Formats: sequence, C-alpha cells, structure tokens
Amino acid sequence: MSKRKLTFEEALKQLETIAEQIERGTIGLEESIDKYEEGMALVKQCRDILSKAELKIQQLQQRADGTLETTSFKRPPETNISLDS
Amino acid sequence: MWRSDAATLKFAPQDGLEVVASGTVEVFEKAGRYQLYVRKLEPRGVGALELAFRQLCEKLKKEGLFEQERKRRIPVHPQRIAIVSSPSGAAIVDMLRTIERRYPCVQVLLYPVRVQGDGAAAEIAAGIRNVNANAERLGGIDVMIVGRGGGSLEDLWAFNEEIVARAIYASRIPIISAVGHEVDVTIADLVADVRAATPTAAAELVVPVLSDVLDQLHALERRAYRSARGRTELLQTRLGGVMKRDPWREASGLVRRREQVLDELAIRAQRSLASRVHKARRTLESADPIIRKIAPHSYLLRTGVRIQAAQHALQWAISRRLAEYQRLILNHEIRSDRASPAHQIQSLREKVVRLSRSIPAGLASGLVLWNHRLQSHEALLTAVSHKSVLARGFSITRLKKGRKIVRSVAELKDQQRLVTQVSDGEFESEAVNIRQQELFDEP
Repeated sequence: MSKRKLTFEEALKQLETIAEQIERGTIGLEESIDKYEEGMALVKQCRDILSKAELKIQQLQQRADGTLETTSFKRPPETNISLDS
Repeated sequence: MWRSDAATLKFAPQDGLEVVASGTVEVFEKAGRYQLYVRKLEPRGVGALELAFRQLCEKLKKEGLFEQERKRRIPVHPQRIAIVSSPSGAAIVDMLRTIERRYPCVQVLLYPVRVQGDGAAAEIAAGIRNVNANAERLGGIDVMIVGRGGGSLEDLWAFNEEIVARAIYASRIPIISAVGHEVDVTIADLVADVRAATPTAAAELVVPVLSDVLDQLHALERRAYRSARGRTELLQTRLGGVMKRDPWREASGLVRRREQVLDELAIRAQRSLASRVHKARRTLESADPIIRKIAPHSYLLRTGVRIQAAQHALQWAISRRLAEYQRLILNHEIRSDRASPAHQIQSLREKVVRLSRSIPAGLASGLVLWNHRLQSHEALLTAVSHKSVLARGFSITRLKKGRKIVRSVAELKDQQRLVTQVSDGEFESEAVNIRQQELFDEP
C-alpha cells in the first residue's frame, strides 16, 4: 500500500478486489489471511471516514495572490418552503 | 446601430433574420437617403434571449462541448465537494440540508458568487476556474456543483453565457449543474457532466445515502469473512481427508498386507521344516527294527551258543573254525559299521541340521528384502505425515508433561509449559492469556 492515505473510493475498490480474491480461492491460505486482515483494516478506514457525523461547511475566499482560503460559513436560516419544488 | 447599443444585444444579428427594430429615422436630403438608427432590436416571433440561446447552443454544439463522450465521471463517494453558488439563496440551504441528511461525512466548500445581474456570469466562471486552480491546496475536490434556485429566464441568464459554458468545459473537476427548476435548461446544464433538475436533486446526485454505504461496506466485510472462513474450513476438511484416506491409509494397508504375507511365509517355512524333521525321524524309526534285527550283538550271542556247543563236542577241532568265525564276525562288524543305519542316521541328522540352518537363512534374506520395502513405505508415510505439514508452516504444540498434543485451549492450564514443534526443531513456551476464540472475529 502506498503511503498516501487512500480516498474512500480507492479503499472501497481495494476492498472489493480483496473480497473477490479470497472468494475465487486463487491465492494461498496464508496470503488470503493476509488479504483478509488488509481488508479489515480497509473496512475500519472506510468506517472512520463515514463516522464523521457532522457536515463540515466552509466558505472559500480569494486572497490577493489568487489563492483561496477557507473561512467559516454561517448558514442562512432554514425556511420551511423550498424554492425547488 | 451605434456600438454602445449593439453591445446590449443578447443575440447575433444574421442575414435573413426577421427582426422588429425601433429607433429614429434621419433624412439626408442632399443624397436623398434615409438612415435608420436602431436603438432596440428584437427577433420576430421569439425573444432576443431565446434566439441568443439557440445561437450559442448551435455554436457550442458544433465545437463538441455537449458531447457525452467528453463528460467526466461523477465519483460515487466524494469526500470534498465545492459549490459555486450564492451564499444566501434558498438553493444553498436546500443543498446543504440534503447533503447533511444523506451523507454528513463530507466537507463542503462554498465559493460565493452572484448568480444574477451584470457580472454574475464572469464571477461564476472565475469561481469554477479558481476552485480548479486551488483544488490541490484544498486537499482535492472530488466534485463541484454550479447552480442557483429558480427564477425568470433573465434571472437564470448568467448560466446561458458563453464564459460560463467555457469554464465548465475547461474544468478538471467533474461538475453537476443545478439551475432553476425542472423545466429550465441552460447552456451550463448542457455542458455540465451531469445536469440536476434542481439544487436539491444535485445534492442527491452528489452524495450517496450513508446507511446504504455502510450496508455495502458490511456486505463486503461479510463476503471477505465468509470466504476466508470457508477457505480454512475447506482446507481443514481436506487435511482431515488426506490423513484419513488416500496414501496414508493405502500405505498402512500395504504394510499390513505385506506383514500378512510375511507371517504366512514364516508359518509355511516352519511347517515344511517340521515335516522334514518328522520325515527324518520316521526314517530313523523305521530303520530301528532293522538295526535291532541285524544287531551284531545278538548275532554274536547266537553264534556264541553254537560255538560253545561245538566247543563241548569238538573242543579243539572246532577251535580253528571258531577263530575263522571270529574273523568273519570281525569282518562283518567292520562292513556293517560302514554301511550301518547308524551311519545313515548320522548323515541324515547332519542333513537336517544343514536344512534347518539354510531355511532360516533364506527366511532372513527374505526379511531383509521386506525390511527394505517397509523402509520405502515408511518414506511414503513420511511424505504425507505431519512433518511435511510442519514444513508448510504449521506447528504442533504439546504439553511438556506427557507430550500430549494440544488440540484445544480447553486442554490448557494457565502457565502450563508447552513444547512447540516446527519443521526443523522445537521450542518451549508457557501458556498465558488463554482465550477461546474464533479464527476470525465475527463482524
């Protein structure tokens, strides 16, 4: 595995591959146990990402040099009527 | 038409276009000419915006901006979403609420822009470009939503401008457009990778439902668990089968059969030996009366009686004959000694001894052969024995006391000394922290 932290999508894809590899039985017992452990680590990683229960909202603001900085964003008050529908 | 007036035109005038023009007419008397100063130009039948829309549509279509093939894939599980929209509209409220309800584990970055009025299009286009340019620094943007809530055609106009279309087209980050209501289709919608009917719909498209993803994750986990467990169970069954069946049992059966043959041979050899001895004994026994009958001793006795009688009658005259007789007896004795049954018995006895020596010798050489074969069977047994299993990385753990193989933690006591055998030796250890456990934790 690379040092870079996997994105959720990458981790999920890898997990699918692992499940498939173990299912097909083309790898040896020891390797499949290794793969299983690797898969469980990925499951944990995915769960960690999903368990961030609070939506993080920030506002982007352009600096003088053109780069963007993030500032806190105050959400407009909720209305019961949606303009969509 | 003056340039300043022409700049306000939303559409491009073309030859043959029917228009309604309003303005002032001036007369040049000298040249006899009329000049029409157009202040406002409206295409006939359709509105100016409508025509502009059609014209830009046609132009961008020709350039391939609407092609499905060039559209980017929207990731299913984004982690960071940028929204280019108004920070105060109902659209942002709807989107944030929807994202929060479905999948709150994401980060949303709002790039605030004006979404209507002069300069709105330029701001939106700049927003799209800036988010792209800063994506790396912001930790990577998986997907971008560009849009606003409902309004009139004029309100939505910024999303029909070429500058916005070009910015969407140039974006590296996949873009979901969400402009107005279901019925409103803008140029931005046509260029975007995915068009959402409304901002709420965009939020539904951009994130999955958390519980679905958790279910999917759980299903994957179960799949891996089941198949890994199934693998080990299958291998255990196979191992058991190998130990019980096939070469193992065959080999031991082979050995048993060979042992039987060996036993039979031994019995046969014993029998034949016994029968030879018996035969020899019978020969000896049948020879006995003959020996007795022609026994030199009784013959001598009988002759002696006759000699005595003759001695009585013919003391001297017979004495010569006696000597002759004596000589005869002597000769007879020598002969009978040479060809005597006793002599024959002796030679038979020697023969029996020789036989009894040679037969066990034959048996012994047979045993050597069988021993050799047994050794090759033993090699076969070794091949399927635990040693080759050890070589594959398994180990055997025994209680140090009694060397009983440990098959279950139930057989262990805390701090019990253990001897573990691996392929090339063994080592001692102590059982601590004994736990009864599944091979895998059931998720």
